[in-house]
Amino acid sequence: MSEIDSLKAQLQDLQDKALALFADAADLKALQALRVAYLGKKGELTSVLKGVGKLPPQDRPVIGQFVNATKSVLAEALDKAESLLASKEKEARIDAERIDVTLSGRTSETGALHPVQQGLHEMTAIFAQMGFAMAEGPEIEDEFHNFDALNIPAEHPARANHDTFFFDIEGTADTKLLRTHTSPVQIRAMQACVDAGGEPPLAVVAAGRVYRCDYDVTHSPMFHQVEVFKVDKDVSLAHLKGVLQHFLSAYFEKDVPIRLRPHYFPFTEPSAEVDIGCVFCNHKGCRICKGSGWIEVLGSGMIHPNVLKAVGIDSSIYSGFAFGLGVERLVMLKHGIPDLRLFFENDVRFLRRMGA
Amino acid sequence: MKIPFSWLKEHCPIEKTPQEVADDLVRLGHEVEGIETPRAGVKGVRVGHIVEMKPHPDADKLKLLKIDLGDVEHLSIVCGASNMKAGDKVPVATVGTSLPNGLKIKKGKIRGEVSFGMCCSEAELGLAEDADGLLILPKDAPVGEEVGEYLELEEAVLDLDITPNRGDCMSLRGIARDLAADYALPLIEPGDEVVATDDSVAAPTVAIAASEDCPLYTACKIEGVKVSASPEWLQARLIAAGLRPINGVVDVINYTMLDLGQPMHAFDADTLDGNITVRTAKAGETFTSLEGKNVSLHDEDLVIADDKHVIALAGIMGSEPTGVTDKTSNIILESAAFRPARISITRRTCGLVSDSSMRFERGVDPAMIAVAMDQVAQMIVSLFGGQVSAITVVGDTDSLIKDTQIQVNMQRIESRLGIEVPKTADAVLERMGFGIEHDGDTLNFSVPSHRPDVRLAEDISEEYARVIGFDNIPAMMPTLTTIQPSKVDTGITDAVRLGFVQVINYAFISKAEQRLFVAEDDKDLVLPNPISEAMSVMRRSMFPSLLNTAKYNMNRQQTGVALVEQGRIYTGPLDEHTETNMLAWLITGDVQPDTWYAKSRKADFFDLKGAIESWLQGRGLTARFMADDGVLGLQAGQTAKIFIGKSVAGYIGKVDGDLADGFDLSDDVFVASINLDVLHTGKKAKFQPIPEFPSIERDLVFLFDKGVTSDAILQTVRKACGQQFVDASIFDLYDGQGVPEGKVSLGIRFVLQDAKRTLTQEDSDKVMQAVIDAVATKFKAELRG
Ligand SMILES: [Zn+2]
Repeated sequence: MSEIDSLKAQLQDLQDKALALFADAADLKALQALRVAYLGKKGELTSVLKGVGKLPPQDRPVIGQFVNATKSVLAEALDKAESLLASKEKEARIDAERIDVTLSGRTSETGALHPVQQGLHEMTAIFAQMGFAMAEGPEIEDEFHNFDALNIPAEHPARANHDTFFFDIEGTADTKLLRTHTSPVQIRAMQACVDAGGEPPLAVVAAGRVYRCDYDVTHSPMFHQVEVFKVDKDVSLAHLKGVLQHFLSAYFEKDVPIRLRPHYFPFTEPSAEVDIGCVFCNHKGCRICKGSGWIEVLGSGMIHPNVLKAVGIDSSIYSGFAFGLGVERLVMLKHGIPDLRLFFENDVRFLRRMGA
Repeated sequence: MKIPFSWLKEHCPIEKTPQEVADDLVRLGHEVEGIETPRAGVKGVRVGHIVEMKPHPDADKLKLLKIDLGDVEHLSIVCGASNMKAGDKVPVATVGTSLPNGLKIKKGKIRGEVSFGMCCSEAELGLAEDADGLLILPKDAPVGEEVGEYLELEEAVLDLDITPNRGDCMSLRGIARDLAADYALPLIEPGDEVVATDDSVAAPTVAIAASEDCPLYTACKIEGVKVSASPEWLQARLIAAGLRPINGVVDVINYTMLDLGQPMHAFDADTLDGNITVRTAKAGETFTSLEGKNVSLHDEDLVIADDKHVIALAGIMGSEPTGVTDKTSNIILESAAFRPARISITRRTCGLVSDSSMRFERGVDPAMIAVAMDQVAQMIVSLFGGQVSAITVVGDTDSLIKDTQIQVNMQRIESRLGIEVPKTADAVLERMGFGIEHDGDTLNFSVPSHRPDVRLAEDISEEYARVIGFDNIPAMMPTLTTIQPSKVDTGITDAVRLGFVQVINYAFISKAEQRLFVAEDDKDLVLPNPISEAMSVMRRSMFPSLLNTAKYNMNRQQTGVALVEQGRIYTGPLDEHTETNMLAWLITGDVQPDTWYAKSRKADFFDLKGAIESWLQGRGLTARFMADDGVLGLQAGQTAKIFIGKSVAGYIGKVDGDLADGFDLSDDVFVASINLDVLHTGKKAKFQPIPEFPSIERDLVFLFDKGVTSDAILQTVRKACGQQFVDASIFDLYDGQGVPEGKVSLGIRFVLQDAKRTLTQEDSDKVMQAVIDAVATKFKAELRG
């Protein structure tokens, strides 16, 4: 065998061995070691190349080519084996990291806004967007603001309907009581405006707790009201109707029909009770609306001239509308809550279910 | 106010159905609570004529009757009653009929005698609670007719809720007037026959000593009355209208009150001592009500008195001893006007309400005083006999029933209603009794005596709105002046985001619970008439109601609760009380359930503190917590005052263990309260560039004496760090093995940064050395390991 043939055979042998080793390599680390062992500066191929120097010069290019070919075969094989192993190793890792995606997530306990609070937020937001400013007043009121200024003098039969919690003997303007409605805020807001030397327009929304000495299945001694009023030149009953229609449709998130029925409140003239088309039967008539298709939701009217007079606003120049609504009642209607008492039992199972 | 439909038709020839009339009443402003047919369900009970009555051969108390029902054969009925005789007409329930009490009539044999039905009492027909014997029908009752139809038992009764301003509508006539005007039908006037008087009967002598409160008092005497029960038809009407029949005279008065709206009163003349005076009560006088209640009178009470006693609370009720009974033979009738406000005051101070006071308080039409007097006197005489005296009248009738004049500007009315008033409206108002004269844009209104509620131009606008119909008023959006819309407060929403459930509790609690957290009661605001002792004082602490809510829930399958309430606390004294807006928190029990990734854990102080810190951060505020051992109800060593700047913003702490036990709460309970009124909103966030140069983190671990607060340590190290300080926090806390007794190992992590350059190792070494020196000086604390 010529020198060249033996070198060729040696190279072929080396290549076969190497390829077999590459194929058997267990991991990327072993493969890296093989790369160094064969293709490194001190690797097998290099040492074969060293032997090339002993060949006659005319043979050197031949064997050089042969060595380079072997080198590229091995490099290619290494790259292939490497990427194969890499993807195998990734697959193994993915397998190892497999989880049960149906296990519950890591959560923290969520809270819940009380449904009455949600109602208050929704309602006041609608009025705030319409340009009504927020106001508040004390819950421990005096007779003047709760009754007298609202055209309900002491002997007025309407007082009897208020089931008032008095702190003191009833009958003087500064006798203290728990406010029976949010209407005294109307008085305070108008007084504040006049006292500051201002004059209407005034557009105010006030919300808060009110109290009645009445406690049974359908009455709570404490509940919430929202009071809305506007005083300006040329405010009319038609405006009241427009605002009510907008508010009730916005709150119930649908076009609800409304009906105004003439009624009597001492602090408004004309006065109207407001019904909405029953939300349970879509105005067709059901047990809840007693077959009428209507459900009463609030009381309203044009502010009585005596009320404006009580706060020093000239009723020959200004007029206004006002209405007050029971928050619990509207929330019950919107969410189908059957029992008023649920609101104040504060069972967290109820609150979480209703809570946003 | 209950309106039997047939009675209504006597005042106005209505042809609509009860349901249609109800709808129209609603449109006119009268709330209809319902339409009842109270005694429907006596079908099959017919008018029977007793043609023969024999004793039962085998039973003393039973009778054998032959009854003519107008059919070919007479019915045989065995009957146990004793008040009937042959020739009487009685209600007969035939076989197959179901009575209102549920009894079903079958053919039966009683002691060997066959019975084909049953003769009925008022109780069996559902006309009365109980009854002695059969209901004997009037002689002219048509044989065979359904008793229900004959007695108009099946008619509809409209149940109205009359508003307090419409005293005129607390009568059949008043309701009929509104309907007649709306329907353009005539209102049938009461008969104008004047009762025949007899000069031999002396008219009562009356003096009015309180003419402002009683502008008109009329009275007459009727002698020789034989009081008995009122006739069936009258009783049936009273029952249908919701009143109980009492005796003939009282029934006639009540009937007339319902009919015409004028409440009257009858005294037994023989029980009176001297003349009648209308006056205010004298100190020490008492009054015995019809229910036998003894009332001490006040000097503002208006009374009717004889020479010795108070015989009636004017317009409310007569006294028990002077009332008309079956034994009365001479009566004095009263028909008068009383000032509404006065009746209202007396009604309230005496705590006595009546159908009469309800009407006088709301305003009674003085035009009916004489009409009602005539009607009552005539009915009494025709039903129970007697001679009527002349009628004594004290006061001026004409000035009382004069129309009131009001001038109104039509433009003002139209601007108030937002609609042009149609011409047709005037005619309706005129039929209601108003007089209207147009003078250009000015309207001259005459208001009749039955509408004392109409006094202002605005009242007229309501009358127009009513007759136009609220449905016909358009809906218009007003131009709303742009006012800065207010922000809805997010305090409670933020608290809820932190995992707390919002509750809303009553603002009143029990006095005992108040004392748990507020020692002194001198600033308590006590309700004199509470719903119950548990709701008798305005809360000065939010904690008792929260503890009750926690108790309620922990008793209902909860293992832990986190609650928050926004509300007020109320502090006396009454004449200068304060209401403070509070946000109160409570946490107890498990804060974390057992899960696949974590074990359950009980709430501690830092769960609540962390929530409050996060909440404050949301408002741009930071608080300092200072230990406070002196807070009532909270445990020393686990309680802190919360400072925002220099003001106390609230408290946080562990509820005293015994106190929590009192609420059945076995786990530790932590509460906090924040005074929302002292929180000024934090500064608005101002833009700051993101630092250009990187920050460095360094850790130091020291051994401190136990009892040194982290607040003090962090303040010290912060000062020591100087300009390059960004943050310092406790990252490790250990007092286990290897840490000497009385010491605690604290790891502090620092973040340092310089605005102008990257910090080097040497820079941070310098800062750390300054920290080590400062801590050594201030706390004698050593660097650990
Ligand atoms: Zn319905």
